Amino acid sequence: MKEKTPVLVRYRYLFSLLVSVLLAFGIGAIILAASGFAPLQAYGAMLRGAFDSARHVGDLLEYAMVLCICGLACVLGARVGIFNVGGEGQLLLGAIFACQIGIWLDGMSPWLVIPLAALGAMAVGAAYAFIPGVLKVKVKVNEVITTIMLNTIAAFLCQYLAKGPWKNANKNLVAATSQLNADYWFGKLIPRSNLTTAVFAAAVIAFLVWYVMQKTSKGFEMKIVGQNPRFAFFSGIKTDRLVLICMLISGAMCGLVGMFRVYGVEHLYKSSVSNDYYFEAIMVAMIASYQPVAVILLSLFFAILKIGAQGMELIGIPSQIYLILQTVIIFFMAAESGIMASIDAAAQRRRAKAAAQQRQKEAQA
Amino acid sequence: MNEFSELLKSILSPGTFNEMLRRATPVAIAALGGALTEHAGIMNIGMDGMILMGAFFGVLGSFLFSSAWAGLAFAILIGVLVGLFYALFVIKFRSDEFIIGCALNTFALGLTSYMSRAIFGTSGAKGYPSLPDLHLGVIGKIPFFGGVIDGHSLFVYVAVLLVVILWVFVYKTPAGFHLRAAGEKPETLRTAGLSPDRMKWIASVLCGVLCSIAGAHLSLGYLNGTFAENMSNSRGFVAFACVIFGGANPIKTYLASLMFGFFDAIGLRLQGTISSDLTGIIPYAITVIMMVYVVIRSNRRKKHAQKRDPKAAGGAA
Repeated sequence: MKEKTPVLVRYRYLFSLLVSVLLAFGIGAIILAASGFAPLQAYGAMLRGAFDSARHVGDLLEYAMVLCICGLACVLGARVGIFNVGGEGQLLLGAIFACQIGIWLDGMSPWLVIPLAALGAMAVGAAYAFIPGVLKVKVKVNEVITTIMLNTIAAFLCQYLAKGPWKNANKNLVAATSQLNADYWFGKLIPRSNLTTAVFAAAVIAFLVWYVMQKTSKGFEMKIVGQNPRFAFFSGIKTDRLVLICMLISGAMCGLVGMFRVYGVEHLYKSSVSNDYYFEAIMVAMIASYQPVAVILLSLFFAILKIGAQGMELIGIPSQIYLILQTVIIFFMAAESGIMASIDAAAQRRRAKAAAQQRQKEAQA
Repeated sequence: MNEFSELLKSILSPGTFNEMLRRATPVAIAALGGALTEHAGIMNIGMDGMILMGAFFGVLGSFLFSSAWAGLAFAILIGVLVGLFYALFVIKFRSDEFIIGCALNTFALGLTSYMSRAIFGTSGAKGYPSLPDLHLGVIGKIPFFGGVIDGHSLFVYVAVLLVVILWVFVYKTPAGFHLRAAGEKPETLRTAGLSPDRMKWIASVLCGVLCSIAGAHLSLGYLNGTFAENMSNSRGFVAFACVIFGGANPIKTYLASLMFGFFDAIGLRLQGTISSDLTGIIPYAITVIMMVYVVIRSNRRKKHAQKRDPKAAGGAA
């Protein structure tokens, strides 16, 4: 049973993506013009803002990395039919625990501390994903709602830790942990940018996720579980276990992103480790229709928008316009799949009808 | 021990409950809207964006027409539009309601921050005409109780009225019955010759309006004519938690929002003893436990029903 994606569908997807992007930029241009800015100049500033210096390119690659790993974490869950919305909480907890591990083990060799911190972050992320996962599998509690609640709980918990027991000595930083020893910082790939060696680890993870999902029988089992859990169950796949494992890995990936943010960029834990990045990543995953390769490419695109928008600030345009551009694309893409699905359904009904008539004729003859 | 009783006294003072009511109201009004969409079978994550839109356009209206009432009307108008917009995507195009909700939140954040900076020149605006505070005269003189309910902004009282109206609407009118049917068993509604989608449209527009009112109350009443970037501050998610906690029943939802407000308010009182971040966790943790309990209970009921009458499996939930 080899699965084939008809080429036509992919073209249709690319076409609608292109149309969505163009429409978004069109609407953005109208908003810009209405508030008295020249749209072309603004978009020019956006392009320059993203690519004018190695530093900005580095920043955008780092942001794309965050989006991509979080997006893949979301895809991993969505593939087996569990929607991990709790990545934000898993990321924050992963970040603060990874940071604290670095502080506790201060003075030891980086070769020991960094792997331990990574493992710790993954364990914490996975543990935090375990709660909604097991509730979904065993009790059938809606995982979207529980993960949303758990996000807020995690944010409160991290704030408590960063303000209380794990607070740094510096009085100016209200809610932050102590800074990591500089020995443990990831090396910068591009000076003064946020891009660090973490990107290699991220690339390996992205490749593994893609490989397992697209090229192995486990990946195929995941797909069956997501599309038809009853069929999967009766064909002998341990569906509950697979769903739970995917949720755990998804949580571990989010926790690891938190560690990357701390060891690569912030060097201590504070709330700017993540600014609802995971929610952005969910949207990327959705637009990519949960295809790993598309997630990677679209992460890059959205990172360009975000970093580029900072360039627009230089000519006095509020950078928030990028949020508008981004969400308009999402609205169109979300609606597009709905419209396409209804067209598909209509076509299928027509085909089924024709087939039924055919059978009727054959029966008569 | 003495310290503890002192603390308890400060927690149970009228001031705390006054603060609870004040903090609960913006969430409560939005949650009432969320209860309607929840009944109609839509999981509405986008309330945060709707509140933010209401907050911004309320201040904008107040600024443009120099009247808080015009601001409120403007916010309600925008609320209708946002509700229609949400329904168009979620109901007409059958898009994923979670994604649309997320996108709506981000869109509202982008649009209001952008417009605020383009129009007011800064990321915030303040000092525009605000909604009046109400003083209740004699009632305000009642010991304790008076101190709790006196002197709030107008919509703190309107919210209570809305709870009653919506409770009657949802449980005592045919339209409310149809609304619930649209969420629970749309096929029955279809069999009765009614369109579940229409009820969903109505629910999301009403939700848009209520969330906008919540936003306008937030900016024009709660904060006296102030808009700040991202001022909804995840209140939409709190409202969503209240809806889940209250099982979308308007009265229970309102009480849930009071609970969230209470834990918010005692955070201030407990400063120095327990971190407000830890007390903040409590209502969310209770919500999760509550959800698990509700699901387990309904599963058990289903099982019982199945035992008694195997044909009616899944019929009693």
